[in-house]
Amino acid sequence: MNGYAGKILRINLTDRKTSTIDTKEYEQWVGGHGMGSAIFWDLVKDKTINGFDPRNVITIMTSPLSGTLAPGASGRTEVQGVGAQSYPIEWFTRSNFGGRFSAMLKYAGWDGIVIEGKADKPVWVDIRNEDVTIKDARRLWGLDTWKTQEEIWKEVSGRGFSGWLELDSERRTTQRPAVLTIGPAGENLSRTACLIHDAGNAAGQGGFGGIWGSKNLKAISVIGTGSIKIADPKALMEARLWAQKKYSTDVNNLDASWFAHFGRRKPQNLFWDKQEKARLSSCIGCHIGCKERTDTSYGNESICVETSFYAYWDKSKHGGKQTPAAYIAADLLQKYGINAYEATRGLTYIRALERMGILGRGKKIDCDLDFRRLGETEFADQFLKMIAFRRGVGDDFAEGFVRAAKRWGRLEEDLKTGILYYSYWGLPEHSYDPRAEVEWGYGSILGDRDINEHDFNFLFWWPSGAIWAGKTPRPPAEQVVKIIAEKLVPYENDPSMLDYSTDNIYSEPMAKLVAWHRHYTRFWKESVLYCDQRWPDFINTRIPGYRGLTGEGEPRFLNAVTGNKFNFVDGMELGRKIWNLDNAIWILQGRHRDMVHFSDYIYHVPYKGTGKYAWYYLPGRENGQWKYIQVNNRSLDKAKFEEFKTRFYKLEGWDVRTGWPRRKTLESLGLKYVADELERNGKSGA
Amino acid sequence: MRKLKDPSRELVKRILTEVDFEDRLEGFSLRERSGPMPVTMYSFREVVSLLQEPYPRIDFIELEIWVRKTVDDPELADQIAEAIKKGHSDQERTHSIRDLMGERLKQCKRLNQANS
Repeated sequence: MNGYAGKILRINLTDRKTSTIDTKEYEQWVGGHGMGSAIFWDLVKDKTINGFDPRNVITIMTSPLSGTLAPGASGRTEVQGVGAQSYPIEWFTRSNFGGRFSAMLKYAGWDGIVIEGKADKPVWVDIRNEDVTIKDARRLWGLDTWKTQEEIWKEVSGRGFSGWLELDSERRTTQRPAVLTIGPAGENLSRTACLIHDAGNAAGQGGFGGIWGSKNLKAISVIGTGSIKIADPKALMEARLWAQKKYSTDVNNLDASWFAHFGRRKPQNLFWDKQEKARLSSCIGCHIGCKERTDTSYGNESICVETSFYAYWDKSKHGGKQTPAAYIAADLLQKYGINAYEATRGLTYIRALERMGILGRGKKIDCDLDFRRLGETEFADQFLKMIAFRRGVGDDFAEGFVRAAKRWGRLEEDLKTGILYYSYWGLPEHSYDPRAEVEWGYGSILGDRDINEHDFNFLFWWPSGAIWAGKTPRPPAEQVVKIIAEKLVPYENDPSMLDYSTDNIYSEPMAKLVAWHRHYTRFWKESVLYCDQRWPDFINTRIPGYRGLTGEGEPRFLNAVTGNKFNFVDGMELGRKIWNLDNAIWILQGRHRDMVHFSDYIYHVPYKGTGKYAWYYLPGRENGQWKYIQVNNRSLDKAKFEEFKTRFYKLEGWDVRTGWPRRKTLESLGLKYVADELERNGKSGA
Repeated sequence: MRKLKDPSRELVKRILTEVDFEDRLEGFSLRERSGPMPVTMYSFREVVSLLQEPYPRIDFIELEIWVRKTVDDPELADQIAEAIKKGHSDQERTHSIRDLMGERLKQCKRLNQANS
């Protein structure tokens, strides 16, 4: 089994025993999400359990590319199980994090970890190659995520961080263990709690931190000295060089790489003002560093939303200057282990309640926060501590802000006005709003979470940035949709799939785009574990004609590692199979098409921005002509969204009355056993 | 940009005070991975902060009306209206308005300090 370690570690926390699963049993799913869903299906007999139920099974999976030199793929780890965050049903869900955990797990000889049961006392798991020990974690309980890792590093490596760590007389390493851990938020069963690895890699969505807390699992540490057998090392190296030379940043001609998703002129993904002295930092094996380490030590490895959590408030408080407050606030999110989106949207929400006179000291919702200090480090610390330690009204915040609103009797009203900016399944809106960029919203509501897959966002960025600056967007809409449409196999060459005009957003071509997106990400990004930051590469300005490497690149690296002859369409089909399996789990959890709806404001409150000074542009057809059209000021039509769902279910081969997969569809995918189980539960699609 | 007259003590107070929920202003700060992050603003200072972001988005007309009616600063509102009219792009409009409002905020802070 090239690319695999060959076995999956099974840990039963209840009886503190470990066993192994032969990876071969699940090889047909390739890795990551596919394997995780299949294992969950097999091991969790009652799918209706909630996230904190000890019977919940959490899978932590790698892929054949983990720990290899496949670019933008080596360092991701997929986490799955019944979540604790979504509302009203705690969906079977997923999260994903970067760093070096997946690689280290493979080097230790494991393709994944399956966590079952619940320990009677706090424990952590110490993995050193094939040796697995479940240890007492009472001395770690109460520590933040960074301190926990330091303590484990010290215990495992003994001599601190220098010198060799000898695992036995023949195997040694200079590496420190890769640790995945929870902070106080997880220990206190917050539904907003994350799993944290190293300084800033988080499995943020799903509330998996709280679920670990409910299992009394503080951390998993892994150190390995092995390696991964590559089927064709030469082909892998050649593929990497091919991708680098052809598609990555051209350091001698940076302008040509102004948009090369695979390799960027400015790779950092930071939303605060950069610190003066910093160097790039990347996940293991990645050709791009999108993170930073700084000489101040503040904000190390934080990227994306956590860097925006406090940046604006900090500047607003400090006369437009970025101060350490923004960086420290991100560090606090990481240390307490709190989902940055919940914290960001939650803070905006409670501030609105404060301005409405509803929340505050002695108010209907009694809250000690002094909003005059918003932007100061102390305010951020107090707010995040309230969540992490359930202090005062923080006991409500820790449930996530939708459940908090429910407790306060405000949920319906605040989802109607949209001051509670939570669009789908009680989860915070990402910001690629369903009213504008529909494929994101549709994918989220038809799934289990904010998809957080940025595959088509550049269609907004290019024209919106250019038009705002008074320039003509290039390349023109017609050329862009043509290039992308060529790559949308098996629905290739239908540009209507990328028509975001209001007339088209409920159409069958849009259903095809959403289906393509679900299938592509389920396999290539969540199972093979290509990073969302770098893949797919539809359009690449370094290439004459702008055609990126997607379609060719994904299977090329996978095949070089595994030695299989897997093509892009095979991957899309396996993605469809995994998507069907996930849907079957959701159906057993209680899903029906009637509950697949956005929050009320999506249908009743137009997205901001009107008329002459609108600013959200996407490709679309107007009077038969392709152009970048503005999509501000629209809301979704609920009845038409119903029609869209019917088209989507039909396209997927599902029962349009219920949204449940039909037996024929499942059997054609090799999922007869899934069809049988649905039928036993009276949930077969007709 | 014409020089703004020094604001009155009352105007300084209004500009440095937060507004109620009903008088809030909404805008967006664009970030590539997170998208257009909505920003709800309850003070003049916060509006200036948004406009200082790399990729802010705000409805200029709404902003002008807010300055005219909520903040009650007709002189500044007139200059914002002029900047909207004269700007060749939304980026240029944003920067002109940012400078105007930034200048007004500076005046207010200076006078407030002098008066306290």
